[in-house]
Amino acid sequence: MGGPTWLAGIFAAASLAVAVYCAARLVASRRWRRPTELDTDGAHVVMGVAMAGMLVSGLRTLPGTIWEVVFAVATVWFGYRMLATRRGAPQTPWRSAHPMPHLVECAAMVFMFAILPATVAVRAASGGMGGLTMTPAESRFSFLTLALALFLFGYAVWLGDRITFRAPAAAALAPAPTLAPAAALAVASAPGPSAASPGPSAPETNPDVASPAARYLAPRCAAVCKIAMGITMGYMLILML
Amino acid sequence: MSESLAAARPAPRAEVQGRLAALDTRRKLQLALGVIWVLDGILQYQPWMFTKGFPDMLAASAQGNPGVVAHPITWSAGLIDHHLVVLNAIFATIQLALGLGIAWRPTLKLALAGSIVWSLAVWWLGEGFGGILAGTASPVNGAPGAVILYAVLAVLLWPADRDPAASYVAARTLGRRPAQAIWLVVWGSLAAFAVLPATRAAGAISGMISDASGGAPAWLAWMGNHAGSALEHQGLAPAIVLAVALALIAVAVFLPARFLRAAVIAALIVSLALWLAQGLGGIFTGMATDPESGPLLALIALTYFSKEEA
Repeated sequence: MGGPTWLAGIFAAASLAVAVYCAARLVASRRWRRPTELDTDGAHVVMGVAMAGMLVSGLRTLPGTIWEVVFAVATVWFGYRMLATRRGAPQTPWRSAHPMPHLVECAAMVFMFAILPATVAVRAASGGMGGLTMTPAESRFSFLTLALALFLFGYAVWLGDRITFRAPAAAALAPAPTLAPAAALAVASAPGPSAASPGPSAPETNPDVASPAARYLAPRCAAVCKIAMGITMGYMLILML
Repeated sequence: MSESLAAARPAPRAEVQGRLAALDTRRKLQLALGVIWVLDGILQYQPWMFTKGFPDMLAASAQGNPGVVAHPITWSAGLIDHHLVVLNAIFATIQLALGLGIAWRPTLKLALAGSIVWSLAVWWLGEGFGGILAGTASPVNGAPGAVILYAVLAVLLWPADRDPAASYVAARTLGRRPAQAIWLVVWGSLAAFAVLPATRAAGAISGMISDASGGAPAWLAWMGNHAGSALEHQGLAPAIVLAVALALIAVAVFLPARFLRAAVIAALIVSLALWLAQGLGGIFTGMATDPESGPLLALIALTYFSKEEA
């Protein structure tokens, strides 16, 4: 991708940090039996690695075609999840409560891998700058690229609006295992006797059944990861305009 | 402010709709402003901004301005030229921080105040006051300068309630009279710029539209080229039509609520038309620092949209 190398390096480092952190969330949630969005964290692990490879060529791990397949599968999964939630399927704190932004993220990854080779060729030919000429592919998809970037910025801002310092007193009374991640943002800092450890009735094998005392795992950190991914992906899309 | 999110988990769709409903109109508009600031920040990270082209573009805004305005512009452009990478990275990060600061409620006031200070500084040192003093200001080329509209929006969306019973956001924040004065100044000044030589000269509007089409994607360039061709030999007539439309919008703020609603819708249409004429702010060229005045004028218009009869 175009842009100063050091800047791409910073964004790549951010992507990798999110990937590592989300992988750690997956491990920690299993170990401590605290809910996290398994599908979102899993998607962010692969997305962080793939984006780092797109930003810094030295960090490329897999061919683009394989990433296209991976993110196409993820797109289908989040599409299925979105349809399921619209049909009122039972919810679990272990799956994304808001699949649509992740659907868009995965679709954007497929989109970028599909048209990036042409874009890179033009950037290389013009010394790393888009200049005033556009390839037919860029011209055809430019509005879609802008729309995707704006959606991701909007998602990042919306998430920013949901992060709170402290929860109101009523929050501590809410039934913890049924909290949505965004709602859990408000609850996370509320004091309570059951905040740190799973309850005695925590299931041993079925992660879909959370302990009544288990609260969403580090919701604010999860939100910050989503914001970082949204901003980084938006940056990559803007470079493709 | 929206209500607490800490509630038992209903079905997600209803949950999302409930949360959106819980966000009042002012908060939604604040978040929209935040999105535009984030976009600006990321645009500032584009490769071209780290080249000499960026300070040269800033220096060009000094042309035609009085010395007292032009000298600081030239000085700051020179400073940026000498420390281009560091300063541009700081500028981009500031704008990104303003957007995220508006999004995060504890820093909302700080970010809005920062928006005002930043906008005023960039309006002078980056846009040469939008060409107002140089005689090049035109609604079609983004006058009075997109960046000053961020400051206007920060004032209109400030989390204050001077008139809590007001029927639209701007009046709720500032009180009815100050809000009316701001609307009159914004749209009235646009009407005035529309009859200045920079707009009314033969082929002026056509030239601005054609210039803005450069580097645009095919569909936008097609629209720009056709509009430019249609207005090629026109000067005064389209300028007067534009000025009258803008003047009517400006005075409608003093009319009953239903006229203001109609004016707001007209303002949204004019904003869209101006944005298209501006080639969507040149956002596809890799050299845009912001999306230009169209989206900001639309956002200002929405702060005056009243859902009910006054």
